[in-house]
Amino acid sequence: MIEIKDARKITFAIATWIAAITAAHLALNVNWSVLMNDRLPEAKRKLNVAYIPVT
Amino acid sequence: MTDYISAYSQSGHLFIPRLFQGFPEIKEALMSGRMQAAFMVAPMAIALRAQGVPVKIVYLGHRYGSAVVVRKDGPVKTFAGLRGRVVAIPSRFSDERLILFRALAANGMSAKDVHMIEMAPPDVAGALAAGAIDAFSMGEPFPSQAESAGFGRVLFHARQYWPDYISCVLVVRQDVIDHKPEAVQVLVDGIARSGLWLEEKERARQHREHAADFVGRYYYRQDPKLLRWALLNPIDRVKYEPLSPRRADFELIVRLMVQTGVLDHPIPFEAFVDTRFAEGARTMTPWHYEAGDSKAW
Repeated sequence: MIEIKDARKITFAIATWIAAITAAHLALNVNWSVLMNDRLPEAKRKLNVAYIPVT
Repeated sequence: MTDYISAYSQSGHLFIPRLFQGFPEIKEALMSGRMQAAFMVAPMAIALRAQGVPVKIVYLGHRYGSAVVVRKDGPVKTFAGLRGRVVAIPSRFSDERLILFRALAANGMSAKDVHMIEMAPPDVAGALAAGAIDAFSMGEPFPSQAESAGFGRVLFHARQYWPDYISCVLVVRQDVIDHKPEAVQVLVDGIARSGLWLEEKERARQHREHAADFVGRYYYRQDPKLLRWALLNPIDRVKYEPLSPRRADFELIVRLMVQTGVLDHPIPFEAFVDTRFAEGARTMTPWHYEAGDSKAW
């Protein structure tokens, strides 16, 4: 049987883990400059320039 | 490169470079307006314009830098050995396909003698190593990848059959040209300055080594050693000057596109090229930037 105290600890650990993974994902995988740029008024927006890793 | 060096200049980051893995995806992003400018193979840009997509070529990305590569220990020893073989190309609308047509004609063969298949550029070296294809016609650094890994051999470089060969060009949407011409000019100026920086006489080797390092790490996500090979073996394997779009070069591409069935009828140079930005960049000088500098000007 899991006691209420243990259940709270497990819930807290899971929540911390999810928060840490989410923060790491947002920091490492999300291109914030792109997101912020797309929200600017068109006149102020930087140009998105597409390229592929060739020459 | 322009993005990296300009970040150290007074103006800072002016553009947002967006990495794609294939030309069809770039084409869709440009058509939908998600991308305002793109580097793409010249015939694809011409075909887009011919289909009524409002884009124009404003500058070149480089000259040369494409090659046909075969397996080092494979059966293809000479050009004639390509007969009946599977050759990967990046797109039906690519200069890499056209160079193959030119080479086939020069060797008394035709497109019927080889089996061309389209493949995303990052996949070709692996496909050649695995024996899924017999050869590929592709831009750098993929010929260098096969060569430096020891399983590929360059059968011929594009320059052998096509002097002043061009492949990737800078394409900009017409609405951006109309409403933000100054931004387009800054972009073209930056590319012109980057090209001159890479070709700067006795500094060229050093600049190319540095460019291989930061482009590999931050933009291409490839081993810098690979780009070093592509940029230095030999040093004129890829050229970054002159990059102004010339009428004769593009008329040849249009003619070859019509001959090889990817364009219904010729379209005039002015319909798909806007030369004003290249003319504006004519007086540009190389970046003043060395590895480790905190400023560029």
